[in-house]
Amino acid sequence: MTYVLNRLLSVILTLFMITLVTFAVTNILPGDVAMMIMGTQSNPEALAGLRQSLGLNDPILVQYARWVGGLVSGDWGNSLIFKKPILELLSQKIVASAVLVVMSMCIALALAIPLGVWAAVHRDKWQDTVSSSSALLGVSLPDFFWGIVMILVFARWLGWFPSSGFVEPSVDFWGTLQHAFLPALALGLGLMAHLTRMTRSTMTGILSQEFIRVARAKGLTERTVIWRYALANAIGPVITIAGLQIGYLFGSIIVMESLFGYTGMGWLTYQALLNRDLPLIQDTVFVIAAVVMLTNLAVDLLYVVIDPRIRLG
Amino acid sequence: MKDIVSVDHLRVEFATDGGPVVGVEDVSFTIAPGETLCVVGESGSGKSVTSLSLMRLVEFGGGTITAGRLNFERADGTMLDVAAAPAQVMGAVRGHEIGMIFQEPMTALNPVFTIERQLTDGLILHKGLTQEAASARALELLQSVRIPEPERRLKQYPHELSGGMRQRVVIAMAMACDPKLLIADEPTTALDVTIQAEILALINRLKRENGMAVLFITHDMAVVAQMADRVVVMYRGRIVETGTVNQIFENPKEDYTKALLAAVPKLGEMKGKPAPEKMRLIGDEAARAAAAPVKARVPEVLLQVKNLTTRFPVKGGILRRTVAQVHAVEDVSFTLNVGETLALVGESGCGKSSCGRSILRLIEPTSGEVWIGGRDIGALNRADLRRARADMQMVFQDPFASLNPYRRLKDQVAEPIQNFGLATGAALEALVLQLFDRVRLPRDFMNRYPHELSGGQRQRVAIARALAVNPKLIVADEAVSALDVSVQAQVLNLMMELQEDLGLSYLFISHDMAVVERVAHHVGVMYLGRIVEIGPRSAVFDSPRHPYTQSLLSAVPIADPRQRRFAEDLAFKPITSPIFPLGHQPAPSTYTEVTPGHFVLSL
Repeated sequence: MTYVLNRLLSVILTLFMITLVTFAVTNILPGDVAMMIMGTQSNPEALAGLRQSLGLNDPILVQYARWVGGLVSGDWGNSLIFKKPILELLSQKIVASAVLVVMSMCIALALAIPLGVWAAVHRDKWQDTVSSSSALLGVSLPDFFWGIVMILVFARWLGWFPSSGFVEPSVDFWGTLQHAFLPALALGLGLMAHLTRMTRSTMTGILSQEFIRVARAKGLTERTVIWRYALANAIGPVITIAGLQIGYLFGSIIVMESLFGYTGMGWLTYQALLNRDLPLIQDTVFVIAAVVMLTNLAVDLLYVVIDPRIRLG
Repeated sequence: MKDIVSVDHLRVEFATDGGPVVGVEDVSFTIAPGETLCVVGESGSGKSVTSLSLMRLVEFGGGTITAGRLNFERADGTMLDVAAAPAQVMGAVRGHEIGMIFQEPMTALNPVFTIERQLTDGLILHKGLTQEAASARALELLQSVRIPEPERRLKQYPHELSGGMRQRVVIAMAMACDPKLLIADEPTTALDVTIQAEILALINRLKRENGMAVLFITHDMAVVAQMADRVVVMYRGRIVETGTVNQIFENPKEDYTKALLAAVPKLGEMKGKPAPEKMRLIGDEAARAAAAPVKARVPEVLLQVKNLTTRFPVKGGILRRTVAQVHAVEDVSFTLNVGETLALVGESGCGKSSCGRSILRLIEPTSGEVWIGGRDIGALNRADLRRARADMQMVFQDPFASLNPYRRLKDQVAEPIQNFGLATGAALEALVLQLFDRVRLPRDFMNRYPHELSGGQRQRVAIARALAVNPKLIVADEAVSALDVSVQAQVLNLMMELQEDLGLSYLFISHDMAVVERVAHHVGVMYLGRIVEIGPRSAVFDSPRHPYTQSLLSAVPIADPRQRRFAEDLAFKPITSPIFPLGHQPAPSTYTEVTPGHFVLSL
């Protein structure tokens, strides 16, 4: 319990630091919101008036406090390009991205764990070479390349999946999954390499431990020894890496969602950046950072369930 | 009676990049029902390979049985050649008809499964028990290995148990299906001496009650003397000699066995001898070792430790504040004379290593004074302390970890000399050469790297490096514990010889009572951070007064089959935790002087 409390407090502290950094960075960017709204050719007096009414002339700390206060109270401001409340926009898009991220992580883990275990069991044999080179192939080509391959093969030639677009899960959940599959597979292939290597090296270490020898000496079958005794110990580190990759994934979805016309957070971020929608950028960055943080918290808590040794700490 | 195991001309090979390497060759022996056969040998002798072959576990380590038969009498009376048995048959034999226990209790249990699960899965697999029946049997097993609070242990995870308890669980696991043969591969090597005594006694009792045969693998001749009915001595993958335990210990035929036995210190053999004596060696070194006992000097104090206390913080909470303290060293005082050896003995966690490091200020003591040659080490500033370190050097336990794998040995020995600016150029070269001669390493080793040397040779390099700056004091922290017994004897003799020639003082930190009895002038017994008894070696060993010293000495296996000590169940008092809340101020150590110079902590 102390552990959970400790982790929660550290999350709150980090979130606070995230707001500081996000706010600082967007305020250092050239240009201001008033300029964005009115355009560069606008009347200086009208611009000054708008600045005044938006509170841009207030001391920086007051502006920061207003922004954070808004975040907490649910008033996240309006997007300049979409002319909509940002909170509404984000809560829509995050669902789309969540489907994509979860799906790609599941694909990556489903491929990486068996491949890594297989490589560890047959360490320094041909299986090991096959495993590590196929994992390397996944990561050495950029994921948009895989995206293009997916579109060509599965959408254009085979016609199994739609090549672009997004369907609201509330409208057609099966359709959502279908639209998410190809970008998720492309992302998953990129994620796989790291996870395969992690699985392989963790499993290799565990398979050389005494308790594995003891398990074999008990007469347990190789299947039990590897898939229960060893994997139960290897899964923790692998999931930790997977959690860290969520951050990387949010970078990748910007390209992948745009490529597939999949209107999620990544697509939204791209639009916001392209159009210098400062309030939207600020809030989006905060949300992505918060999601990455919370996923890692979830992983840490999951670790408590997996590894009994953490419970005392 | 028919033998339960008969091994016939076993040969095991390991595949390496340089082609197959023979692990064991031409190994033959038998084990009768109810008999304990000890296979003894130094590292690389092939003793573990032999035991793993009998379980056909050797193939998981890259080995292959290339010749020989391993006949094992199964429960139904049929003979099985383990070497040729198919995998499914081996699965039914392992853990069912042959149980096995290993060296490392700390890693022998799966950390993420409960004790119950690990005890029951074999029972469910081999005996077809239901989960309830298996759990009931698991509880029974824990009771039979005498674990305190067995019901609670079932639900616990391995990290919640001490090393001794874990080894009991491992034994319970091996015993789960009533095997006819128990293979114990160095089962007590990683354990403290009192725990070792308990485990040895436990194995003896289980063997007696169940009538099973035991194949006991060990490097420790004293354990062999205590446990074996018959003994197989192995060296470099081959059997040197086989015989009953009395034959081997009293009338060994082969030179290797004789040398091995000679190198083993036997607790109690120094009774009535005034000064330390060199280890017995047979062969090349025999003549040198036969020299007169280390002579006594006019006492002159080199090191004086007064009320030394070292505490480590235990951090906790969100702000990582200190929430408690480990009282590693608690009010320790002693003196060490020039040219003498003071041994600090005790079990793991007693604070003996922390004490040695605190004296050198490798860790900062919390309070107390350390005087070396009339200088207060505790009061020195950084620069002076650095200079003072030339007087006090350290030799660590693991000679491989304490040498830099990327540097030539001569550079590593020269390093301290350069650090203190004692010599350069030709003078430096000459000095290094002299040091290699001094520790009796061939001069052509100077250009080698650590991995090209054996453990004993590496430890000689570590000693040469410590000697490089002409220290007065050497703190030897388990310096010979990782070495094979014959090598250990050579290194100990080298250390004693250097003491004689150079007037060195040793603070000899060790857990091995038999070695300490041989080399020390004075002995301090540590328990929970304190010295509970200190005095001349003969006084402490011959008439121990503190109950802890007495139990420690009673737990040491003696390398003499006629002095067996572990027939009945033993239960030593477990060591309590040295962690205390902040602000806890323990009472100062007060001592009673029972005979001149022999002090015992007042209870």
